[in-house]
Amino acid sequence: MTQSHIRNFSIIAHVDHGKSTLADRLLEQTETVADREMQAQLLDSMDLERERGVTIKASAVRMNYKARDGQTYVINLIDTPGHVDFTYEVSRALQACEGALLVVDASQGVEAQTLTNVYLALEQDLEIIPVVNKIDLPAAQPDEIAQELEDLIGIPAENILRISAKSGIGVSDVLEQVVRDVPPPSGDADGPARALVFDSHYDQYKGVIAYVRVIDGTLSKRDMMRLMATEAKFEPVEIGVFSPIMFPVEKLEAGEVGYVATGLKTIKECRVGDTITLATKGAEKPLPGYEQAKPMVFAGIYPTDNDDYHDLRDALEKLQLNDASLVYEPETSQALNFGFRVGFLGLFHMEIVQERLEREYDLDILATAPSVKYEVVKKDGSRIFIDSPAQLPDENAIDEIREPWMKIQIYTPQTYIGPIMDLVIKKRGEVVTTEYLDATRVIMHYRMPLAELIVDFYDRLKSITQGYASLDYQIDEYQTDDLVKLDVLVNNEPIDALAMIVHRDHAYHKGQKLVTKLKELIPRQMFAVPIQAAVGKRVISRANVKAMRKDVLAKCYGGDITRKKKLLEKQKKGKKRMKMVGSVEVPQEAFMALLSLDDDD
Amino acid sequence: MPSMTHIQHLTIPDEPVALYLHVPFCRSICTYCAFNTYADSDDLYQPYIDALCMELKILGQSRPNTQLKTIFFGGGTPSVLTPQQFEQIFEAINRAFETSLLVETTLESNPNDLSEPYLRDLRAVGFDRISIGVQSANQSELDLYGRRHNFDEAVSSFAAARRAGFDNINLDLIYGAPDQPLSAWETTLTRVLDLNPEHFSLYNLELKGGTDITKRVETGTLPSPDDDLAADMYDLATDMLGQHDYDQYEISNWSKPGRQSEHNLQYWRNLPYLGLGPGAHGFANGIRYTVVRLPKRYIDRLTSPEKQYAYPHTPATAKAVPVDYATDMSETIMMGMRMLHEGINRERFLARFGVDMVDHFSEIIEKHRAYGLLAVDDQRVHLTQQGRFLSNAVIRDFI
Ligand SMILES: Nc1nc2c(ncn2[C@@H]2O[C@H](COP(=O)(O)OP(=O)(O)OP(=O)(O)O)[C@@H](O)[C@H]2O)c(=O)[nH]1
Ligand code: SF4
Ligand SMILES: [Mg+2]
Repeated sequence: MTQSHIRNFSIIAHVDHGKSTLADRLLEQTETVADREMQAQLLDSMDLERERGVTIKASAVRMNYKARDGQTYVINLIDTPGHVDFTYEVSRALQACEGALLVVDASQGVEAQTLTNVYLALEQDLEIIPVVNKIDLPAAQPDEIAQELEDLIGIPAENILRISAKSGIGVSDVLEQVVRDVPPPSGDADGPARALVFDSHYDQYKGVIAYVRVIDGTLSKRDMMRLMATEAKFEPVEIGVFSPIMFPVEKLEAGEVGYVATGLKTIKECRVGDTITLATKGAEKPLPGYEQAKPMVFAGIYPTDNDDYHDLRDALEKLQLNDASLVYEPETSQALNFGFRVGFLGLFHMEIVQERLEREYDLDILATAPSVKYEVVKKDGSRIFIDSPAQLPDENAIDEIREPWMKIQIYTPQTYIGPIMDLVIKKRGEVVTTEYLDATRVIMHYRMPLAELIVDFYDRLKSITQGYASLDYQIDEYQTDDLVKLDVLVNNEPIDALAMIVHRDHAYHKGQKLVTKLKELIPRQMFAVPIQAAVGKRVISRANVKAMRKDVLAKCYGGDITRKKKLLEKQKKGKKRMKMVGSVEVPQEAFMALLSLDDDD
Repeated sequence: MPSMTHIQHLTIPDEPVALYLHVPFCRSICTYCAFNTYADSDDLYQPYIDALCMELKILGQSRPNTQLKTIFFGGGTPSVLTPQQFEQIFEAINRAFETSLLVETTLESNPNDLSEPYLRDLRAVGFDRISIGVQSANQSELDLYGRRHNFDEAVSSFAAARRAGFDNINLDLIYGAPDQPLSAWETTLTRVLDLNPEHFSLYNLELKGGTDITKRVETGTLPSPDDDLAADMYDLATDMLGQHDYDQYEISNWSKPGRQSEHNLQYWRNLPYLGLGPGAHGFANGIRYTVVRLPKRYIDRLTSPEKQYAYPHTPATAKAVPVDYATDMSETIMMGMRMLHEGINRERFLARFGVDMVDHFSEIIEKHRAYGLLAVDDQRVHLTQQGRFLSNAVIRDFI
């Protein structure tokens, strides 16, 4: 396949603007997927994606398109996620492409991640093709939105496609424009092979499967290959393309997107961002690769059953292959024993990782409340970074605690300015400026501690603006504040996994709420369980979980034993989701209780 | 938990079986009731009895000479049937089974049905034990439960039963109703103790899905019952019945010495019982099974059945599951724990499962001994006084 007949592009957009639905239409149009196999958001192949109706993973697919010029082109499309927590997926996908199809919802217009993604595409020097989607909606304003896009990226509004990915209106022009405007790949087809590993997953039989974009040269099935960063050599078990299922081919040439089944069983040998070349006469310089994503929030992940520690480690290792943003290291907790400190790009990411571990690896796990990374300046002048409240040194040794602050942009109809401002201030944030996008929409610029942002800020923003606001943020700088550690004692034992770092002014209020919440969440045990919140040695709130007095089944009428037994088994299963902390059974929700202390009730 | 996935042959002792006959009819449905029972179905009584007799006949044919240990008519309200109808059933029982070892024949009943002549007839057809659904001595509670009798009627039915010659009488009581104060429960206990029956069964009111009372709690027109208060009531009953020389031989059953319910002991010892009638459950020949629930379907299935059925199957069997080794073991423990003195007999356990229970579950048993919930001696493993309240917490660990 000569490069002039290849086009590689990603579909990018703010969450829910219709990327995956548009991908469906393109798959149909090119007859890549048989009618009977077609289903909505086909590329969202993970159960989790289908259940939640949201894309989590970027996924690539190869299509053959017969263009109006009579020629057939190989088109590689990568559908990307729109959620802010998965921007890293987008940036990696873009590096495998020459163009980006920017989808904008005609009823919503430009939103926070529309911009983020545009900047990512511009950084990579990609050709951007904007399309206005969902023009079938009654609330659609295609002309206004096209104008917004013209203002944003300078493409004349009248040249911007207006489509409905759902009904198919205008979709037939999309690939035509891709063929026309996206430049073909321009690698050195005859040079030493270099392929960028932009994603991967683990297969029990074929080892690590690297998803690659061949930049220069050719990879063929019989070549011995080499990963340039780890120096691992391998003979591929298989190479192929995504059709969208994995489809073996003999070779992948410059400009093509596909996969290499490396056969490697040691996962560390094949990293996303590495370059694959040939073992002999290989390239000298690797491709630039990727910067590792910077996790924003950290949480402990522990097996509910201590015996599953090794399974959890294996699972994290394998999951990391398919989620390059995941970072983790072993951690121990007095309360929870052996587990891992895991870094996430946001709370949604954390939730997804948790679910994937449970579903794909069949583990019962428990996550502690998320924390940010604090900088602690000690009295002796030394500085340390901690990502868990448990690591905080003794109060007396601390000179000051510094926390990360974020720059925040909120895109919103101007009617919500007031309520948003109240919310931001309640979360210790400060206003920077408010910028008018047009007569009715504004971008509000704020600064706010990340620790406040991760605690239900997004949900509350969505609820006070009826879903109209969108949000983007970047790390700003570390800043000192009067922060203290709030300890929680259950049955007179401090539970490290329940500790949190809070502003001194909020300690009392949060301590009380937390104790009340824990009292509700911790089930009655065979003895009374005191719960206390304390700052330093001072107890600021306490409550008791009364002892369980009665846990008896009624008579088995007429010998209906099976039902009684099922009932007991069900109760037992419920108990399995609890963690023994000392001699107290604590449910998973208790560890997440820290996240919902700001409710107004 | 030790792994018990392998299936072994069960060595369930070849003991006499208990016979449970379900009568799925009531004159009216109580507000808390979730049993398989139907009102306004008088026209089905006779066809049902014919079907029941057919079911008995089939079981008699598929396993001749089965010895019966006990007979229990439950419901529903078995006392809606006439003495003649019982006579017909007993004839079928006697044709199908051996009754030389029979020790107990019980009828569950509603106070309204128990006239003295009726009771005399019941004695005559073969009943030697009667269970009366008294439930409460307080009219407001009886109203709440939708019972069709008042307490005075319950007292007269009791007296009539005595006069008719019943010297083994159980009273059913319910505690833990929404809004029920401890003092009301004390009144009930005081008044039923005056009657001096041989046996008491006490039920904590359960809010079963779909019942009237549950709906009222869900919609907020009734408060939800208070668990702590129910525990207090249970305590009070334990004290008061104990003072009157009733022995709490099972979690919710008390009796005068030697007056335990033999029929229920059979369940708790996990020994075989046949369940007949719509919705009945049975356990025989290593199989747990249920009978179809709807009386009409039950009758249909048994109207001209084919010839041969493998015991304990009948044409009315809805579901039958062979019990494997592990299940049998956990069920033996689950049921056995309910018997407060007898507990689980170690020797019988060893004979049945080939392992000593105390070795097999050493960790779990140790844990609950440490909590003071379990006691172990040479013969048995059983709940302590304290353990009675938390039996679920203990049993859960074994299953
Ligand atoms: N009315 C209408 N609805 C559309 C159109 N395109 C997509 N949708 C709907 O918008 C919702 C989101 O569509 P997706 O294709 O999952 O959006 P996405 O951009 O892939 O979302 P993420 O991957 O989660 O960021 C779905 O309910 C689609 O049915 C359209 O043209 N018209
Ligand atoms: S008498 Fe018993 S079976 Fe009949 S409705 Fe009342 S509680 Fe239910
Ligand atoms: Mg999508």
